[in-house]
Amino acid sequence: MFGPRIVGENGIELRPPVIEDYKIFVTWQLQPEVTRFWGPRFSTDTAANAEERFKRHLESKDSVTWSIAYQGETVGMTGIFDINWTDRDGETGIFIGRHDLYGKGIASEAVRLRMAFIWNELHFHRTHNWIALANRGSWRANQKSGYSQIGTYPRSWYRSGEWFDEWLGEAFPGTFPADMLPSPWRPEKHPK
Amino acid sequence: MALGGIIRGKRATLRTPTEDDLAAYSRWMADMRVRRVCAPWHQPAMPATWKERLTEQAKDQKGVLWSIEADGRVIGLVRARVGGIESGPNAHLQHFILDPEEWRKGYGWDAALALHRYFFDYLDLKRVSTELRADNTAALRIAEKLGYTEFGRGHQVHYRDGGYVDESWVLMERAVWDERFGTSEREYVPFGAAR
Repeated sequence: MFGPRIVGENGIELRPPVIEDYKIFVTWQLQPEVTRFWGPRFSTDTAANAEERFKRHLESKDSVTWSIAYQGETVGMTGIFDINWTDRDGETGIFIGRHDLYGKGIASEAVRLRMAFIWNELHFHRTHNWIALANRGSWRANQKSGYSQIGTYPRSWYRSGEWFDEWLGEAFPGTFPADMLPSPWRPEKHPK
Repeated sequence: MALGGIIRGKRATLRTPTEDDLAAYSRWMADMRVRRVCAPWHQPAMPATWKERLTEQAKDQKGVLWSIEADGRVIGLVRARVGGIESGPNAHLQHFILDPEEWRKGYGWDAALALHRYFFDYLDLKRVSTELRADNTAALRIAEKLGYTEFGRGHQVHYRDGGYVDESWVLMERAVWDERFGTSEREYVPFGAAR
């Protein structure tokens, strides 16, 4: 399924993806700046099969996917995948495709909105993720919303002569900082 | 890939799954003793659905499925994902399920040792990893004996029997295999010695 629109701060929001987003996602996956700690930089995804992937994700019963928008423009995607409805657990992920926007706090805000939805609307028990240890910005974004490290997978990524370990994290409803709860789960009115 | 070939242990053999095995598969997946210790490979289903699953498995580009046989009867299944472009050649054990009636007879260790010999001595993999429920002591014991070490632990991961159980993430490196079993566990007699 696709997640609903959730408006955050600083021009950042989560919104249900549209077919155009899926065409852009393909191009991001193939860029060296974006794939330093993500993926093999080749893909079977094409603009031509974007509609098929869009429909598959829309109809998926074990995932919730959002596009991340910054100042009205799609700049990445996030979601929870491989959901186990019995364990009430799933793997979260985030991908900022616009590398020129790194460092602006977009990931942190997107993670905050995503986790608030997961705990308050999906009634999950736990979430988990794996992030390259060197991708500090990404695991720090998750830490701010309650993730903590539970292990290190050694030598996960090889890049330019170096091996990089992976940061393994998990989060629970009780680890989400109460003072970071966004609207509409805070008393004030949800932005239009 | 897809359906595995023959790997001989001392008492158990991993072999290509057939439709004749599927009734046993379905029975194990419906057995609460199995479901307590590990995730099922699919839910119980009618025979036609199991045949479709086997057909789909045969097309799987990433996962390999074996049946485990001992004394002429199917006693379990193994499913592993083999690959690793990003992190070097490796395997991830997804399912290792034994018929509960065959537990505590040594088949698990024998099949696991043979499978890891195939991974390291035949496929030349660098690493094998898996996840185990933290109270599955039999599986943890086999993993430890093989040379697996824990690199992470998920808390309260699996819900069953009215509560949550932790999950242990373990891996085994090629160097450990070489040290422990590299000389004793060979599938073939070295070619030079056989001439």
